[in-house]
Amino acid sequence: MKKSSIFGLVVIAIAIAVIISTYKSASTYGSFNDARQSAATLQVVGHLNKEKALYYDAKKDANYFSFFMKDNKGQECKVVFTGTKPQDFERSEQVVLTGKMVGSEFHASKILMKCPSKYTQDKLETTEFTAKQASI
Amino acid sequence: MDTAFKGEHLVPGHLGQFFIILAFGAALLSTISYYFAATDSNKLDKSWLWLGRIGFWLNTVSVVGIGSCLFYIIYNHLFEYHYAWAHSSRTLPVYYIISSYWEGQEGSFWLWGFWQAVLGNLLIWKAKSWERPVMTVISLSQVLLSSMLLGVEIFGTRIGSSPFILLREAIEGPIFSRPDYMGFIKDGNGLNPLLQNYWMVIHPPTLFLGFASMIVPFAYAVAGLWQKRYKEWVQPAISYALFAVMVLGTGIIMGSFWAYESLNFGGFWAWDPVENASVIPWLTLIGAVHVMIVYKNTGHAYFTALFLTLISFVLVLYASYLTRSGILGETSVHAFTDLGMTWHLIIDVLIFLIIVVVLIAVRWKELPISKKEEETYSREFWMFVGSVFLALSCLQLVFVTSIPVWNALFGTHIAPPNDKVTLYNIFQSAFAVIIALFMGFTQFLKYKKTETTRFFITAIVYLVFAALIGALIVYVTGIYKLHFVYVLLMIAAIYSVLSNAKVLADAIKGKFKLAGSAVAHIGFGLLLIGALISAGTSKVVSQNTSGEQYSAEFAKANDPRENIMLYKNQPVKMSGYEVTYIGDSIALPNHYFKVDYKKLDANGKVKEEFILKPNSQANRKMGLVSSPDTKHFLFHDLYTHVSMAPIKYDDELRGQEAGHEGEADDDKNYDPPVAHEIAVGDTIRFREGYMVLKGLNKDAHVQDIKLGGNDIAVGADLEITSHGKSYMAEPIYMVKGGNGFDFARKVDDVGLKLRFSKIIPEKSKVEVTVYQQPESKKPYIVMRAIEFPYINFFWSGTIIMVIGFLMSIFRRNKELKTV
Repeated sequence: MKKSSIFGLVVIAIAIAVIISTYKSASTYGSFNDARQSAATLQVVGHLNKEKALYYDAKKDANYFSFFMKDNKGQECKVVFTGTKPQDFERSEQVVLTGKMVGSEFHASKILMKCPSKYTQDKLETTEFTAKQASI
Repeated sequence: MDTAFKGEHLVPGHLGQFFIILAFGAALLSTISYYFAATDSNKLDKSWLWLGRIGFWLNTVSVVGIGSCLFYIIYNHLFEYHYAWAHSSRTLPVYYIISSYWEGQEGSFWLWGFWQAVLGNLLIWKAKSWERPVMTVISLSQVLLSSMLLGVEIFGTRIGSSPFILLREAIEGPIFSRPDYMGFIKDGNGLNPLLQNYWMVIHPPTLFLGFASMIVPFAYAVAGLWQKRYKEWVQPAISYALFAVMVLGTGIIMGSFWAYESLNFGGFWAWDPVENASVIPWLTLIGAVHVMIVYKNTGHAYFTALFLTLISFVLVLYASYLTRSGILGETSVHAFTDLGMTWHLIIDVLIFLIIVVVLIAVRWKELPISKKEEETYSREFWMFVGSVFLALSCLQLVFVTSIPVWNALFGTHIAPPNDKVTLYNIFQSAFAVIIALFMGFTQFLKYKKTETTRFFITAIVYLVFAALIGALIVYVTGIYKLHFVYVLLMIAAIYSVLSNAKVLADAIKGKFKLAGSAVAHIGFGLLLIGALISAGTSKVVSQNTSGEQYSAEFAKANDPRENIMLYKNQPVKMSGYEVTYIGDSIALPNHYFKVDYKKLDANGKVKEEFILKPNSQANRKMGLVSSPDTKHFLFHDLYTHVSMAPIKYDDELRGQEAGHEGEADDDKNYDPPVAHEIAVGDTIRFREGYMVLKGLNKDAHVQDIKLGGNDIAVGADLEITSHGKSYMAEPIYMVKGGNGFDFARKVDDVGLKLRFSKIIPEKSKVEVTVYQQPESKKPYIVMRAIEFPYINFFWSGTIIMVIGFLMSIFRRNKELKTV
C-alpha cells in the first residue's frame, strides 16, 4: 500500500474518532424530572421563579447561592450553586443550568443566564457563571 | 405621519447613508469591471481595468466617508441616532469613543470593510499582473461587506443593518410620537464598562486587519485556478498569508490579554465559541503556509496547500456567521444578537464556498498534483503531515463549536459538553503533542532526502535532552498530577524549542534566512509551555476555609470554594499571604477596593507587601461589573477579582459628591450601646480591639459653637487599637447654659461610634458610650484570587512568535524580488 493511502486512512480514522468522542461527550438538555431519574450531569433550561426568595448571604458563606427555578415543563426545583450570586440574577429571563440532582436539590456547576437589558429592549445580554475554575 | 421633530440633526445620517449606497454601488461596479478586465483576451485594452480601479477607489472614499459620518455622530453625542445612543454616552472619555465605534456589529463590519479597502489599494499598487483576477475577488467581498450595512428594504425584507438608523426608527415607544422627544433623550446608554479598557481600543482593529488580510491569499489561490496560473500564485500568497497569520495571531493574543487583565474568566483562554471562531482560521492558514512552502520547494502537497488556503477564508466567513447570527446564544457568553441578518451571513459563506468547490471541480484534471511519493525521511513529508494534523485539530474545534448549528440543521437537541474546557484542553493538547514533535524533528530533516542514521541520532539525542528537562519541569511545577497528555505536551514543546534553538544557532552562524521560522517555532513552543504551566497549575489562593457549612453533602460535592469574604480591616490568612481589605478609593465610575497583601516570615516580620486595587462599577444599566487587578512577578502573577461587594450605584455616588448627606440619627446602624465608667488610663475592650482613655482635654473646641464664661467643653482622648492599627478619637462633652450636650465621634475604619456621655465628678470618672457596628453593617468584599505561575512564558512566547513571522515575511519578500 502506498504511504499516502496509509496516511489518508489514519486521518480518516482520527476524524471519525474525534466526531464520535465529541458526540459522546456532548451533553443533553433535560428537565428536572430527567435529572431525578439519572445520576448524570445534564443541562436544564428554564426560568427563575421570581415569587420565591433567592438566598445569598456572603457573611454566612460567600460560596452558597440558592434559588427556585421552573424548567420548561413547568416543574419547580430548588437549585444550589457554589459561588456568588450572579449580578442581576433577578432580572434573568432564561437560565441554562449545568449540574445534577443531589437529593431533592439540583446542584449547578454552571449558570448561563440571559437578561433583557433594562434600557435596550432590542438587545439581549448573555452572561455565564462557572462555579469551578477553568483548570486543565 | 409627517411630524416635524425638533432638535434632530439629520444631515450626517443622510450623508452617511448616501456613502453606504455609494460604497455598495462602487464595489459592484469594481467587481464587474475587474471581472471583464480579467476575462478580456485583449490585455492591452485597459478600459475595464481603469473602470475597476475607479470603482474601487470610489468605494474606498465612501468607506472613509461612512466612518467620518459615524464618528461625527458619536463625537457630537447625536443621540437621535440609535448607534450613538446604544453605544456611547456624554460621560465617555474621548479615547473610548473609538471603542464604542466598534462595540456594535455595524461598526465592526465597517472596520473590516475599511481594512479590506486599504489592502485592495495596496494590491492595486503592488499586484501587477495579478491585479485583475485578485481584485475581482476582493471587490466581490467588498460588495458583500458593504451590503451588510445597507439597511434598505427590498421586497419586504431588510438587507443589512445601517449604523445611521434613527433611535425613533429602531425602538418603538409612545415618546417618539412627540415632536419634541429629543428633549427627553438626555444621554446615551454608554459603553459596556468592560470595554472601557485601552486594549479594546487596539484589539478590534488588529483582529479585523487579520481577518481582512485572510482574503488576500484566498484571492491569489482563486486567481491561480481561474487564470490557470496553477503554480505561480503560491509564491506571492506565502507573504500575504504570513502577514495575515502574524496580524490575526497578534489580535487574538491581545484579546486574550484583555480578557486576562479585565474580565472575570480567571484566565487567558476559555474556549468560548467566539474565541474558537477566530482561532480556527488562524490554525488552518498556518497549516496552509507550511504546505505552500513545501509545494514551492519540492512540488509536493499541491492540493493540501490549495485547499487549506481556500478553506481558511471560508472559515473566517463561517466564524462571522457563528458570532453574529445569534445562533450561539445558548452556549456563549458573548453578547451577540441577531440583527435579522442570519440569511445574509449564510449567503455570504455559501457564495465563497461555491466559488471554491466549483473552481476546484472544474480545474481538477489540470491541477499540478505530484504523482510521485514523498520520501519518508524528507522534510516535506513531515511538514505535510503536520499541517494535516493542524487541520484535524481544527476539525474538532469546528465540530464542537458548531453544535448549535447541527441542532438547527438536523432538528436535534444536543447540548454542548458539560465540561467543555477539559474536553478541549485534552483534545487540543493531544494534537499539540504531535504537532510540537513534528516541529522538533522536522528541523533535522532535509528537503528531498536525508541520511537516516544521522537523522535518528540527532533527533533522539535532542529528544532525550527534552525528556530530561521536561521531567524536571513537570516535577517542579506539579504538572505530573494532571492528565498524562500534559506531561507529553511539556516534553514535546521543550523538544521543539530545543531543536529550533539549534537551527537558530546555525542560522546566526551563516544560513540566516532560516532564522525567521526558527524564531517563530521557538515562540510557539514557549507559548505552549507557558500556557500549560500557568493554566494547568494555576491555583485558587482564596480557598474559603471558614464559612458556615450548609450540609456536609453540599460541601463534599462542591469542593473548591473559591470566594473568600473579607471584612474591612480584618486580616485573613490565605495561602501564605495575610490579606486585608483596607479601604476604598473612588474615581467615578470606578470603585477601587484596596486589598493589602502581606507575606510574613517565621518571626512575623513583613517580608513582602503590596496593594492590589481591583475595581467594580455598579452601573444601573449593566449591574455590578468588576475588573480584576493583577500583581505581576517575574515568575508568577497574582490575580485578584472582586465577585461581590455592597457598593452604591455610580449615579448615587455622583449625587453624594454634590450634596453632603445629612447626619441623621444613625444609631440604628449600630448594636445597642454599652456605657462604660472609666478613669484616665483605663481600658475598654470591644469586639475587635481595645481603647485607652489617655486623658481629658479641658480645652476642647467644637466648630461654630462659642462658649460663654460658665460653659465648659471637655474632650476624652481615646486611643483605639484594632487589628494592629491605632486611631485617635476625641468625643466631647459640653455644658452650655446649664445644659449638657455631647458630640459623638466616629471611627469608620473600626466601625465605632463613641460618645462622651457623662462626667461623674464624685467618682472622678467619666462615662463613655461605645456603639459598635454589627458585622452585617460593616463593609466587606467577596473576592477570588488566583495564582498563575510562569505566565510570562506565554506572553513572551507570543511576542517571539510574532517577531519570527515578521522575519519570515522579509525573507519571502526578498525571494519575491529575486524571482
